[in-house]
Amino acid sequence: METGKLIQQLGKHKGTSNSSALRSNVGCISVTPEASSAFFTALKEDFAFDHCSLISAVDNQSGFELVYHFSIVGESGQMLEVHVDLPRDTPTIDSITHLWGGADWHEREAYDLMGIYFIGHPDLKRVLLPDGFAGHPLRKDYVYEIHEEEW
Amino acid sequence: MAEMWIHMGPQHPMTHGLWNLRIKVDGETITDAVPELGYLHRSVEKIGERRKYFMNTTLTDRLCYASAMTWTHCYCLTVEELMGVETPQRAKYIRTIVLELQRIASHLMWLGAYLPDLGLITGFLYGMRDREMFLNLLEIPSGGRLLYNYVRIGGVKRDLPPGFAAKAERVMQTLEQRLKEYEDLYDNSKIFRMRTDDVGCYSASDAINWGITGPNLRSAGVAFDLRQADSYDAYPELDFTPVTTSASDGISDCFSRYRQRIDEMYQSMDLIRQALAKMPEGEVMADSVPVRASGEAFRRTEDSRGEALMYLVGDGTDRPYRWKIRSPMFTTVSASPHFLKGYKVADVPAIMGSIDMCIGETDK
Amino acid sequence: MSRQQVRGNPRMRRGLGSRTSDPTTMMEDPPSGDWLTLRSDQFLKWVDDAVYNIAEQTGIRDVVNRVTRPIFNWALRYSPWPLHFGIMCCALEMGAAGGPDHDSERMGVVYRSSPRQCDILIVNGPVCEKLRPKLKTLYEQMADPKWVIAMGECAIGGGPYWDSYSVVAGADTFIPVDVYIPGCPVRPEALMHGFLTLQKKIREQEPGYFLRR
Repeated sequence: METGKLIQQLGKHKGTSNSSALRSNVGCISVTPEASSAFFTALKEDFAFDHCSLISAVDNQSGFELVYHFSIVGESGQMLEVHVDLPRDTPTIDSITHLWGGADWHEREAYDLMGIYFIGHPDLKRVLLPDGFAGHPLRKDYVYEIHEEEW
Repeated sequence: MAEMWIHMGPQHPMTHGLWNLRIKVDGETITDAVPELGYLHRSVEKIGERRKYFMNTTLTDRLCYASAMTWTHCYCLTVEELMGVETPQRAKYIRTIVLELQRIASHLMWLGAYLPDLGLITGFLYGMRDREMFLNLLEIPSGGRLLYNYVRIGGVKRDLPPGFAAKAERVMQTLEQRLKEYEDLYDNSKIFRMRTDDVGCYSASDAINWGITGPNLRSAGVAFDLRQADSYDAYPELDFTPVTTSASDGISDCFSRYRQRIDEMYQSMDLIRQALAKMPEGEVMADSVPVRASGEAFRRTEDSRGEALMYLVGDGTDRPYRWKIRSPMFTTVSASPHFLKGYKVADVPAIMGSIDMCIGETDK
Repeated sequence: MSRQQVRGNPRMRRGLGSRTSDPTTMMEDPPSGDWLTLRSDQFLKWVDDAVYNIAEQTGIRDVVNRVTRPIFNWALRYSPWPLHFGIMCCALEMGAAGGPDHDSERMGVVYRSSPRQCDILIVNGPVCEKLRPKLKTLYEQMADPKWVIAMGECAIGGGPYWDSYSVVAGADTFIPVDVYIPGCPVRPEALMHGFLTLQKKIREQEPGYFLRR
C-alpha cells in the first residue's frame, strides 16, 4: 500500500491525529493512549506491520512521549512512526507484547530507564540496571553525581 | 528427575562478553532460560545528551567494537537527516566500501569466535589471521585498528589514498581462496555438522514476530535486507539481491546461520568491487555542517548483526535532546529462550554463538 | 545485599564454596599423625605444626628459600596465565594478541577460563556498578600470587564514560592494580609490552617463597 493511502486510512481510526508522510516509505501518526490498544491491533492484523522495530520513550518535561517504530518485512521496507503522549504523573499504557513478541524487552527497557508502566506486560522488571537501583536515569529530572567539571 | 538452574556467565567461555544466561535443566535438557543483561550498561544514551553532535561519534564507535564503522555510520546518517546535510557522492561510495570491509571483518571475527566454541580451535587462528588483513586495510584511511571514527557527519574524514583499490583487491583475492578452504574444511566436517545441523531452529514467521533481523533472519529464507529495502548511500546504484539460506523451507538452524555469514562475505566482496569500479571523483565532505539542530529524525541501516535504528530529537541546541538506539542483538537475545528450549546443555554454545552476539551494543 | 553485609559475614564471603552446615559435624576427626586423610583446614594446621614452625626455627626455610626462589620466580615470570574474561573493546585486542599475528603464547601467556588456574586478571573495559561485585568475586577466587592489569582508559579511570551514572571510575577503586596500559583501545603490541612490564615487576617483587605464609 502506498504511504499516502496508508496514512489516510489510518487517520480514520478513533483517537488518531497529525497523520503525515515523513519520507516516501515512512508515515507518521499520533494516537491517544486510550485508543492505542485498538489501533495497534488493527495495525498488526489489517495493515500487516509485522515487525516492531523500536519503542523509544522521550521525556518532554511536561509529560512523556512514546515513539513506536513499526515496519513491514518485505521489499517495500515501509515504516510507520506512532507518537503517543502520556501524562507525567501516570505514565501508563497497554502493552503490545501479545501482538509483537519483539516488543517485550523494549517495553522493559522503557520501564527501566524512563519509568513507563506497561499494563499487561508478562514480566515488567528492570533489564539493564540492577534490581535495587533507585530512580529512572533517562528522565530529565534524574540527577547524579559527576566528579569532574564539564569540558 | 529434579530440575535445577545453572548460571552461565557473566564470566563463562560461552558468553563472548558480559551477560548471564540462567538455564533450567531437566537432566541435560533445557526447559527454561532467562538471559540477564546490564553488566556493560554504560548509559550511552544519557551521556550522549551531554555531548555535542559531532562528539558522539566517539561513543558510537564503542557501541559495537566488532563493527564500529557501521554504528558510527548509522549515527551520522541520522544526524544528517536531522540537519538536512547532503553527503557528496564520492563520500557515499567510500562509506559503502568501508562498511562492507567492516562487515567482512565482523563476520570473520564471528567465525573466529564461533568455531572454538564447537571444539575447532584452528577456526580461531584462521579467523583472526584473516580479520587482521581487513583491519590493516581499514587502518589505511582511518588510522585506527579497531575503532575508526572515520565516518563523520557530512562525509568521511579523508579520501582513500591512491593504491587502495589494488590493496583491497589483493586482500579480497586472498580471502576468497581461504574461504573456499574453510568451506571444504567445515561444511564436510562430520563433527561440525553434528553440532550445528538441526540445532537452535526457529521458523521465519516466529523470527519476524520476535524481532530478529539481519543475517539471523535471512538464514530462515526471508530476503529482507535494509541495504535494499531502506536503501542508503551508494547501495541503490549497486547491483545485488539479498542472499538467503535456510535449513529447510523457512527454518533457520545453526548451520544455515553459518552458511549465511559465509555467503554474505562473498556478497560484500562483490559489492566492494562494484563500488570501487564505479566510484566518482570529487569532495568527500559536505561544504558546511550545521552545529545546532531541531526536530526529530530516525534512520535505520543494515548493521553486521541486523537492523540498527537510531532516533534523535533535537531541541535547537548543539546537543541532542534525546538519543535512542535500537540494537539488533537486544531483541535477538530476548528471543533466545524460545530457541534454546528443548536442546541439551552442550548445545548452548553452539546456539548462542551462532547468533553472533555483541554485548556492547546490546547493553548500550 | 550490600557489600558491607557480605564483608561482615564470613560464610557469605567464602562465595560459591560456602558450606551450608557446620563442617565439624560432617566428618569424624581423623587419627592424628595420618596427614593423608586430613580435611583442608586440618591439613593447614598440621603443616604449621609439623613443617613450617620447625623449618622456621631451625633456619632451614631460609636456606631452601635461597635455593628455590629463583626457580619458582622464573616459573612464575614465564607462565603468566590471564583469565579469559572479556569486557569491551580491549577484549578483542586481547584476542588479537593471542591470535596468530602477535601470538602472545610465545611469552607463556595462556588464557584460562577458570579463575582458580589464573595468575593475572585483565580488566579490559569499563566496570559497571552491576559488574563490580562479580569482578571482585573473580579476583578473590584467584589463587595467590596474583596480579591485575588495567587495560585501556575505561579500566584506568572510566575513559569516555567518565560522566556516566553506572560506570565505576577505574578498576583501582576496588581491586589493587599492578600494571596500567593506556590506550583506547589498547593495541596488541601495547598489551604485549604490558606483559613484559609485569614480568619485570615479578622479577623485582621476588615472589616464589618456599612455605610462604
